[in-house]
Amino acid sequence: MELDLRGLSFSFGEKQVLRDVSFKVHPGEFLGLMGPNGSGKTTLLRCLMNFLPAGSESISVDGRPLDAFSPAELARTFAVVPQSSATDFSFTAYDIVMMGRIPHVSSRIAGTTKEDASAVRSAMERTDTWKFASRPFYGLSGGERQKVIVARALAQQSKALLLDEPTVYLDINGQFEVMDLIKRLNREEGTTVIAVLHDVNLAARYCSRIALLSHGMLEAIGPPKEVLTPEIIQSVYGVDVVVRRDPFTEAVYVVPHTISSLGHAHGTHAHLLCGGGTGGPIMKALVERGFSVSAGVLNVLDSDYENVQDLHLAVVAEAPFAPISEGAYAENMRFIEDSKVVIVSPFPVGPGNIRNLEAARAALRAGKLVMIVSPAPGKTIDFVGGKADAAVKDLISSGAIPVKDVHELVSKLPMEGTG
Amino acid sequence: MMSRTPKASDGGPDADLQHVVRRRKLILGLLLLGLIGSVLLALLIGTLGPIGPGNPERISFGDAMGAIFNLPGDRPDYYNVIFWEVRIPRVLLAGLVGAALACAGTAMQAVFRNPMADPFIVGVSSGASLGAVIAGLSGIASVAVIGSFVSPALAFFTALVTVFVVYSLGNVRGKLYVDTLLLSGVAVAAFLGAIVSFLIYFRSQEYHRIIFWLLGSLSLASWTAVGVLAVAVSIGTVVVFLYSRDLNALLLGEETAHNLGSDPETVKTLMLVFAAVMTSAGVAFTGVIGFVGLIVPHMMRIVVGADHRILVPSATLTGAIFLILADALARSVIAPTELPVGIITALCGGPFFLYLLRRSRTGGET
Ligand SMILES: Nc1ncnc2c1ncn2[C@@H]1O[C@H](COP(=O)(O)OP(=O)(O)OP(=O)(O)O)[C@@H](O)[C@H]1O
Ligand SMILES: [Mg+2]
Repeated sequence: MELDLRGLSFSFGEKQVLRDVSFKVHPGEFLGLMGPNGSGKTTLLRCLMNFLPAGSESISVDGRPLDAFSPAELARTFAVVPQSSATDFSFTAYDIVMMGRIPHVSSRIAGTTKEDASAVRSAMERTDTWKFASRPFYGLSGGERQKVIVARALAQQSKALLLDEPTVYLDINGQFEVMDLIKRLNREEGTTVIAVLHDVNLAARYCSRIALLSHGMLEAIGPPKEVLTPEIIQSVYGVDVVVRRDPFTEAVYVVPHTISSLGHAHGTHAHLLCGGGTGGPIMKALVERGFSVSAGVLNVLDSDYENVQDLHLAVVAEAPFAPISEGAYAENMRFIEDSKVVIVSPFPVGPGNIRNLEAARAALRAGKLVMIVSPAPGKTIDFVGGKADAAVKDLISSGAIPVKDVHELVSKLPMEGTG
Repeated sequence: MMSRTPKASDGGPDADLQHVVRRRKLILGLLLLGLIGSVLLALLIGTLGPIGPGNPERISFGDAMGAIFNLPGDRPDYYNVIFWEVRIPRVLLAGLVGAALACAGTAMQAVFRNPMADPFIVGVSSGASLGAVIAGLSGIASVAVIGSFVSPALAFFTALVTVFVVYSLGNVRGKLYVDTLLLSGVAVAAFLGAIVSFLIYFRSQEYHRIIFWLLGSLSLASWTAVGVLAVAVSIGTVVVFLYSRDLNALLLGEETAHNLGSDPETVKTLMLVFAAVMTSAGVAFTGVIGFVGLIVPHMMRIVVGADHRILVPSATLTGAIFLILADALARSVIAPTELPVGIITALCGGPFFLYLLRRSRTGGET
């Protein structure tokens, strides 16, 4: 199936939703359709189905204008998996999949044929839904329902699949199951796939090309590597991302950077003593408000270490699972000396990292402003038999400022040169 | 419904599905037998019997059978008249109207995607009432011979005009919006209902006749009525049945129906037209018989599931059986006086409907 869009435009009354969209979909391709909410992806699929009339010249399938297709013919060309399907009526899963055979019915009088029955059965077996064939559709979970709808699309035996966020209701396992199944169909049977996907990483992993819509216009089209660049994503979605490459699958994946637009970058240096992921929200809040942030001492596999990496912050690192060494401690102190404020996150304290509390004490002695984030002041997650609690109490009595949460922290932070 | 047959689920989906096919055949067979049985039973019920008060004389079972099947035998001639001029057309009319209402109700519930829809939802009953009242008030209805044609004809005509008006209100630039259609139906029915009340108010001597009509009755049955309905019902039910796959798809929403290769606009229009013709033909001869078109499809959906390929025939047959039995009851509860059959259907249907409603609210299947 070859699909050709030439200057496709569509308006709901005054509101123009698709503007002059042109691209081709080649036989056997797996095309991802992406774009922010309201950018016109669903509308584009509806135009392809001729459910919304887009005018006969702008869409052609295998060289024929869309208007030349009868409804049944169109349903043998495209099978649709919509965002969600529900009905109050008591159809069984089997009944629902059997409806996929409607475009193949030879006459209204004809009953269910052997081909119908076997197409339904094989579609349900492949989607792993045969086991609940006789259960009522409305009694299935959202994920099970979605698989039944995929089965219906398979039973339709069309040349192409149009999927509108087919995995929204599925858990991670279900997502990959359904996407893998569709990929297999695409690869083994040459079924063309056009899928609206919101998950950038799912799209990068499965699609051979991605078309990116923005405000109804085609912003970019090409292989994931070319379309999913930080620059294009920034311009379409308005978020900063980091594009990485999966070491195993070679697929690109995207992680959000930070929301850079919130605060004016004043560069006040804050050093964060953290660990175990407790520092993540604090780092983000500080970066958003324009602080220049460093952190330490963190073990390399600590989740706060990953947070630091994602935000591209300076960090004092220690080897995985190793206690803080003299060298790391000294480097940490250099960061503290350089900083305006030292912040202690409510990190779990063990023998390996208790020296981070010592560093805070040293900071106080050196006259630094020290703030301690803790939901219960003076209490820590203490794996050193009360020593940590004692150390924190000592910090507070020596002048460290306790704050309950990130919110209170940022309200009490000194900011230089902000305005 | 498949899920409601726990004993079959041991063999997995295969056994279940085979079981479903067998069960569907069995249900249709039973309903056909039930129809024949209820026709015979209803023929035997009535004043003079064989089942019934039988004052001052009682027709014996043998004589009744002889008359019904035109067997040679030694019995008074008027027995044949009783059966062939009165009871047989009446029972057949009951069956045909019941079938028409149930089939039309099934189609309307699918078109409106709402199990609470009934055949009168697009204004058929109020339109027909207006025609019947006009015929009554203008005196045409009481003119011998032609009156019995003109009155139903006028009711049929006004019913169809009403449906056409409601249909046009629901149709915006070639697309039929079912919610607009529904509200238009309600508004038009209220408007026409007010006119009917107004007319009756000023001609109170017609009151009894009109009320009898508004409650629905089969007492005006005739072979003409049977003939007209036989044509309307056989065409109507066949069309609805031929579109049963499309009705299935329509229940999943118009977009899905379109995506599955059906043409929802055509289907909706066809269903409305044929349901309206069937219902109007019935209403014209029998008045407004409520609840059959609402309850029967609903009940059969619980028994056979939502697949219209089985639902349409089984609801149609059940509607026939239900109205035949309800009319037999209406004739015999306080014989020799006759109740309007609409009272019986409402008395049976109302509580049953509430029961279904409660069931669906408390987690049962609808
Ligand atoms: N029936 C309608 N009438 C008027 N406007 C509509 C209609 N359907 C969609 N729109 C508008 O068209 C635009 C595109 O909608 P569309 O559903 O195609 O977006 P989308 O890309 O699929 O978004 P999402 O990711 O949220 O599903 C939106 O601004 C929406 O409000
Ligand atoms: Mg959408």
